[in-house]
Amino acid sequence: MTDFYIVWKNLTRKPLRLFLTLFATFIAFTIYGTITAFQVAWDSGVNLAADDRLVTVNKINFTQPLPVSYVNKVRAVKGVAAVTQMNWFGGYFQDPRKQLVMMAVDAPSFLEVYDQVVLTPKEQEAWIQDRQGLIAGEAVARTYGWKVGDHIPVNSNIFSQKDGRTAWDFTIDGIFKGKTPQTDTNSVYFHYKYFNETKSFGKDYIGFLGIRTTDPKLNEQVIKTVDDMFANTPFETQTVPEKVFNKGFIEQIGNIRLILTSVVGAAFFIILVIVGNSMVLAIRERTGEIAVMKTLGFQSGRLFRMILSESMMLALLGGGLGLSAATGLTWLITSKMPQMPPLLMTHSIVLQSLGFMLAMGLLTGIIPAVNALRLNIITAFSRQ
Amino acid sequence: MKLLSQIWVVIVMNIRSLPQRLWMSLAAILAVTVVVAVLLSFLSMANGFAKTLEGTGSNDIAIVTRGGSQSELNSVLSRHAVNAVSVAPGVAKTADGQPYYSAELYVVVNAIKKSSGTKVNIPLRGIDPIGFTLRDHVKITAGRMFQPGKNEIIVGQKVLGQFSGFELGKEVKFGKSRWTVVGIFSTGGTAFESELWADARTVQSQFRRGDSYQTMRIKLTTPGDLSGIEKAIKADPTLNLDVKTEAQYFAEQGQALKNIVRVGWAISIVMSLGALAGALNTMFTSVASRSKEIATLRAIGFSNVSAFFGTLAESVVLSVLGGLVGALMSYLFMDGMTTSTLGASFTQVIFTFELSPALFEKGIILALLIGVIGGFFPAWRAARLPVVVAFRNAS
Amino acid sequence: MTDDHLFDLKGVSKRFIKGKEAISIFDGLDMTIKKGDFLAIMGPSGSGKTTLLNMLGGVDQPTGGEVWFDGKRIDKLSEGQMANWRAGNIGFIFQFYNLMPMLNAARNVELPLLLTNLSAAQRKKSVTAALELVGLADRASHLPKEMSGGQMQRVAIARAIVSDPKLLLCDEPTGDLDRNTADEILEMLQLLNKEFGKTIVMVTHDPSAAKYATHTLHLDKGQFVEKDLVA
Repeated sequence: MTDFYIVWKNLTRKPLRLFLTLFATFIAFTIYGTITAFQVAWDSGVNLAADDRLVTVNKINFTQPLPVSYVNKVRAVKGVAAVTQMNWFGGYFQDPRKQLVMMAVDAPSFLEVYDQVVLTPKEQEAWIQDRQGLIAGEAVARTYGWKVGDHIPVNSNIFSQKDGRTAWDFTIDGIFKGKTPQTDTNSVYFHYKYFNETKSFGKDYIGFLGIRTTDPKLNEQVIKTVDDMFANTPFETQTVPEKVFNKGFIEQIGNIRLILTSVVGAAFFIILVIVGNSMVLAIRERTGEIAVMKTLGFQSGRLFRMILSESMMLALLGGGLGLSAATGLTWLITSKMPQMPPLLMTHSIVLQSLGFMLAMGLLTGIIPAVNALRLNIITAFSRQ
Repeated sequence: MKLLSQIWVVIVMNIRSLPQRLWMSLAAILAVTVVVAVLLSFLSMANGFAKTLEGTGSNDIAIVTRGGSQSELNSVLSRHAVNAVSVAPGVAKTADGQPYYSAELYVVVNAIKKSSGTKVNIPLRGIDPIGFTLRDHVKITAGRMFQPGKNEIIVGQKVLGQFSGFELGKEVKFGKSRWTVVGIFSTGGTAFESELWADARTVQSQFRRGDSYQTMRIKLTTPGDLSGIEKAIKADPTLNLDVKTEAQYFAEQGQALKNIVRVGWAISIVMSLGALAGALNTMFTSVASRSKEIATLRAIGFSNVSAFFGTLAESVVLSVLGGLVGALMSYLFMDGMTTSTLGASFTQVIFTFELSPALFEKGIILALLIGVIGGFFPAWRAARLPVVVAFRNAS
Repeated sequence: MTDDHLFDLKGVSKRFIKGKEAISIFDGLDMTIKKGDFLAIMGPSGSGKTTLLNMLGGVDQPTGGEVWFDGKRIDKLSEGQMANWRAGNIGFIFQFYNLMPMLNAARNVELPLLLTNLSAAQRKKSVTAALELVGLADRASHLPKEMSGGQMQRVAIARAIVSDPKLLLCDEPTGDLDRNTADEILEMLQLLNKEFGKTIVMVTHDPSAAKYATHTLHLDKGQFVEKDLVA
């Protein structure tokens, strides 16, 4: 027998109470793991943004157009390694309520700037050659069951063709993967040329520019040069690092981070109160036993450690189960709902959770442990 | 003794012994409080958003957009289309016999959100001066109406509170063009108050839109009757347009936060399970600490039904108390809070959290459910407590 | 003070503050316990029996005077040193047995051995020996709730002797038992005293229990009333 055995026996002596407190902890960490994975995915647009990439938009607002001629003008700027144009298509496949993240791009320069889009050389070749070709991310392809070689019509709720049709015909030339598992592959790209030549209005205008600089240190200089170049023209620009652009974009929705943090905080608060209370109660019921152990010669510090270990074990056990459930849940969400950004249980989430488990074990165990430390044998016995 | 009075005795006994389990009981109350507060915060957010948009649309206004465009932002209407629809049957006439409609533009511009200091999208709407009268309850609350042909804007009342730089008299820059804020308008709290309004033709020229528009608002002769306009659109093969009543249009947009409602329920239900564990723990402890009293009452002839309901009542009272506190908290801290989020037209919709009585009811029902389930099993145990416990020694 | 003295109490006083009143339980108590004694302490409630036992057992300390144990002064030790001293020298037997409800008999007996440096194998040997001595070898894996009062008290005795202490302190060891079982327990204590040389101090209010002792002291209001039994 060891101290650990006694701690274990104490922990498991009331199975119903153990189950209830474990369950409460389990719930807290399931919520924490899932929501944090969601938050990380939500932030991944910011965290995965490349330092050497910039976005140039119309200064009025990024939904306002820019002339296509800007592409070549920017390409000549010192410090620009590559530049490409992007145009929001407003596309949907069959269901108008389900928007595709679909952009008209210049394929060769697009692949140069956005290296997180990974195609096989064969797919890349095929796409560049095919005027009506598109490439779709793994996630979109999974959602709609698209395969390479499929011919599909895509509608736009913004643009129509010159002949009045709102559907464009495409061939799927490639299904791209993300550079990292976190990369969101929920997007579709097709040729600007095809788009520009067939659309009924807005010819020779583009949505925004993507720039890759030769060195992130030159970002400031490139931003200034580009924006100065177009100052006092009808289409003034605003160039920002990709990170800033993505951050601004998600912040439009509101303070999601605050909402998520509040929910996690609330969940933890509940569980802390519940578990803390039942720990205090459990130890109070054992006052006599603790007094006996002290009488037998157990040092107060040792009893203190045993009680803290008990609450730690409770937190780690419940938290571990909760985190496992969250891992399963995120996996389920990611595999069943490809339209969501990939949710991943990253190392940092696991480490943070472990930290929270230890903190919770400490917080819920500290009061009863201190009570045990201070317990006076004589008053404990006379109370019996 | 009557059953009711027996139950009452058990309840009184429970309440008397509450102070012994004060912290435990407070913990159970607190857990329910948090669950209900979280649920009601989500629901009052979605409710406020939906209310704002649903309240915006009017049933006697038709809104015409390009076919399949879903939102005003994505729509484009040519001058030709506007003219063709304006003469359709069912379009009301103004006092001087002209078709009663407003052809409008919907341009997204940048604004700085006060609460976060970040750049967000807000709509600059180009309207015909007559379009002003197509909104219910509309009035200029400060300054004056914009003058056609001038770079003047009037600003929705809610815009002032949420975004910086739109105070009366201020000059606003959109790209190269400069605009002066000449008036503040209110529409009785609807989504239009999240907008900037200017003269449509001035917007066309300043934003290089030629003579194209994005949407058309039409006064209907008969509220809700779109058939005349629909027929006219069908008859003309050059027109590919959608027509809806404004009420329909905004009701659809109000559904944008329905996922928030789902998320709110999902999180609250999962959290309720945690709170339920707390309630069960509290009630089992309560029964255990009173087992001798319960058994004694049973020994002198109380029925086990009274032990059951007496215990259940304690749990329900604690839970409902927690639910009330939670509802009160979300009422105090959330109700009336104004914020904005991205709406279906890709611009900020300013809305106010609204905790309606119906939502309040939902919160209390959730609390009640936690109380009943959390009390049922311990009450069952109390009811089945062997009478012989009464004669056992203390231990 | 001679080598055969296990305990020497010199001028021991003990006062409590209860509310505003100072209550004096002992005032200048002298007492000697010799090695090999089986001492019964009797007296009405409030006479100070339990307080005396607590001071002997090192769970309570006197307000004044000196307590010497086996040639060492123990009344000024720190709480931690006191715990170590108890673990090494004293076996406790309580009225309500005070076994750990979640541990079986063998593990309850093993508990004090966690305070020693013995290996698991050595501990097991000692536990088996102690349980055999109290006649419960076959109950080793039973939980306290599966045993009778007498059996539980025998487990408690096994726990008290397992680390081979010099002194056993018993607080009303038969107070919760019927006559026959009580006699069994007392015979066992007598055996431990006679055959194994344990010094035993037993607080009891049962005169027939006191008969098993080699000496009996009567306490009343903090004083021994039959001086002839005090050395």
